[in-house]
Amino acid sequence: MPPIIDDSKCTGCGVCAEHCPQDVFFGSEIKKTPVIAFPEECWHCYACVLDCPVPEAIRLRTPVPMMLSYR
Amino acid sequence: MTHIIMAGEQMEADVLVIGGGPAGLMAAIHAAESGAKVTLIDKANTVRSGSGATGNDHFRAYIPAFHGPDMEPVVKEVAKSQAGWTRPQSFVRTWMKTSFDIVKMWDDWGIPMKHEGRWEFSGHTFPGKPFTTLKYSGQSQKPILTKEAKKRGVKIVNRVTAFDLITDHGISGAIGVHGREDKIITFSAKAVVLCTGGCVRLYPGPTPGWMFNRADSPHTTGDGRAMAYRAGADLLNMEIPMRWAGPKYFAKCGKATWVGVLRDPRDKPVGPFVTKPDRIYGDPISDSYKGLFEDYMKTGKGPVYMDCRGISNEDYDYMMHYMKHEGLHGILHHFDEEGIDLRENPIEFMTYEMTTRGGIHYNEKGETSMPGLYAAGDEYFGGISAAATFGWIAGGKAAGFAFGRDAPSKNAGKESSEALKNLVREMRNRKDGPSWQEINVALNQVMSDYIGPTRSDTLVEAGTAHLLRIKEKARKDLVAKNQHELIHCLEVLNLLDVAEVIFAAIKERKETREKYIRVDHPYKNPAFDEKVLVCRKGPEGPLTEWKAIND
Repeated sequence: MPPIIDDSKCTGCGVCAEHCPQDVFFGSEIKKTPVIAFPEECWHCYACVLDCPVPEAIRLRTPVPMMLSYR
Repeated sequence: MTHIIMAGEQMEADVLVIGGGPAGLMAAIHAAESGAKVTLIDKANTVRSGSGATGNDHFRAYIPAFHGPDMEPVVKEVAKSQAGWTRPQSFVRTWMKTSFDIVKMWDDWGIPMKHEGRWEFSGHTFPGKPFTTLKYSGQSQKPILTKEAKKRGVKIVNRVTAFDLITDHGISGAIGVHGREDKIITFSAKAVVLCTGGCVRLYPGPTPGWMFNRADSPHTTGDGRAMAYRAGADLLNMEIPMRWAGPKYFAKCGKATWVGVLRDPRDKPVGPFVTKPDRIYGDPISDSYKGLFEDYMKTGKGPVYMDCRGISNEDYDYMMHYMKHEGLHGILHHFDEEGIDLRENPIEFMTYEMTTRGGIHYNEKGETSMPGLYAAGDEYFGGISAAATFGWIAGGKAAGFAFGRDAPSKNAGKESSEALKNLVREMRNRKDGPSWQEINVALNQVMSDYIGPTRSDTLVEAGTAHLLRIKEKARKDLVAKNQHELIHCLEVLNLLDVAEVIFAAIKERKETREKYIRVDHPYKNPAFDEKVLVCRKGPEGPLTEWKAIND
């Protein structure tokens, strides 16, 4: 479940944890890779991805029950 | 386990704004511009909180340069729309009259309100009818409005959830709980503006057992409605249901951003309005018939697809641009993950769960039934433009009210702050008992089984009894392992209060009208024409009263 952080790229700036509306990153500390404490509470708003200053340091994975049905 | 003691803190302002979405930020901006000392508290962070977190792309507006000098056709059309049909026409007129000023402000502040340098209206429009939704690029609306509020001296306090209004000697502020620290904050104020958004998480969402797959932000949980109700303010039209529709399984509002034709599995359009993708109209059939997707499934004719095949290259680029601005980033990313191409793949749509259309009774000045208490935005459903417009209006009025009164006494709120402190301390220190999820799921169950699409006297009676038992258990037994869970516990208590009001309102409205259906009263009762149903707190639970529409 989302989000997924790339440890090697994350600078621990804390922006994702500060901006996340659902506080998925509850308990995170500045200068450390954020803790993904409540992944099931992600609303997929993309605030963390949009506001992260490092390209590709954070991404979201779509959970299987949320896959679109299409033809 | 360490014993949790809640620390106390005091803050003062002339105007306290609760909730930092477009309504709350506009209220704070206007109140501060009027010279008031303003504090705004947000459950999350105003930069990305609420249903408009990462964008919106439609803004109901009357633009003289586009519509011409006569505003009335636009007023009439908005009054018939999903955002206006339960509102008095005078309310819609004030909204449209003010909307252009708001559009100009937003454009000046850097929220692009024009498309390629011109006013562009598209979506939510029936061929031959007046255009009412201005297309705009709102991805950065929240950071921009936050910056404008700060520029005017608004004190923003993030990660604090207000739970109760202070009502000693009139509205005197609110008590909030910190979402990250064991702390209760008493906000003393001369006027309060409630802007906490909608009422998500009342009914079960599209995915069984999942709480957060929602068309609107799942952290908007009717906090304002519940607070206003507990303080004694009037709620209105709580029994009127509202449903959204959108892509199946990946719940997100923004239907009007899709440029396609809604078709059945044999490619036959399900509505009469469009036969090929057209960016100006989208497919408005689902504006007048939201239950369409569910009905097609129930009758075996479905599913219904949003079919963008045949879209022009220009319209495709247009749609993809605005999907970002409507905040549909998750869906766009999913297209990449799965290799979905809207030019080739029709996407199944569905009707999402219910919520209430009604909410806090606020008039065109943003005034509620209690002096000093104002409300705006989705405290009563209206969408982004109503939020921005009435937020602005309510902020100005609240500042005016604040100038005319003295600061609340130093002791105001002491009692309610102690009561809340005890409640949360118990939840934080209790060892065994239901989690917030347990109570929320129990609530979802009772909502969908007893006051879902099928509503009747006997169902309401049985459901109310069950709901009250859940509520009692929640107040007595809820367990919060940390501050994050504590906020969810408070949200669930708010949802339970809102639910009780909805049950009471449904019990009272014994008729079928527009989208409100009572299977045991399948006719319109003319006695309720031109009337609205008001609910307020009584000694034994919600009281109901019929009022003339313009009262």
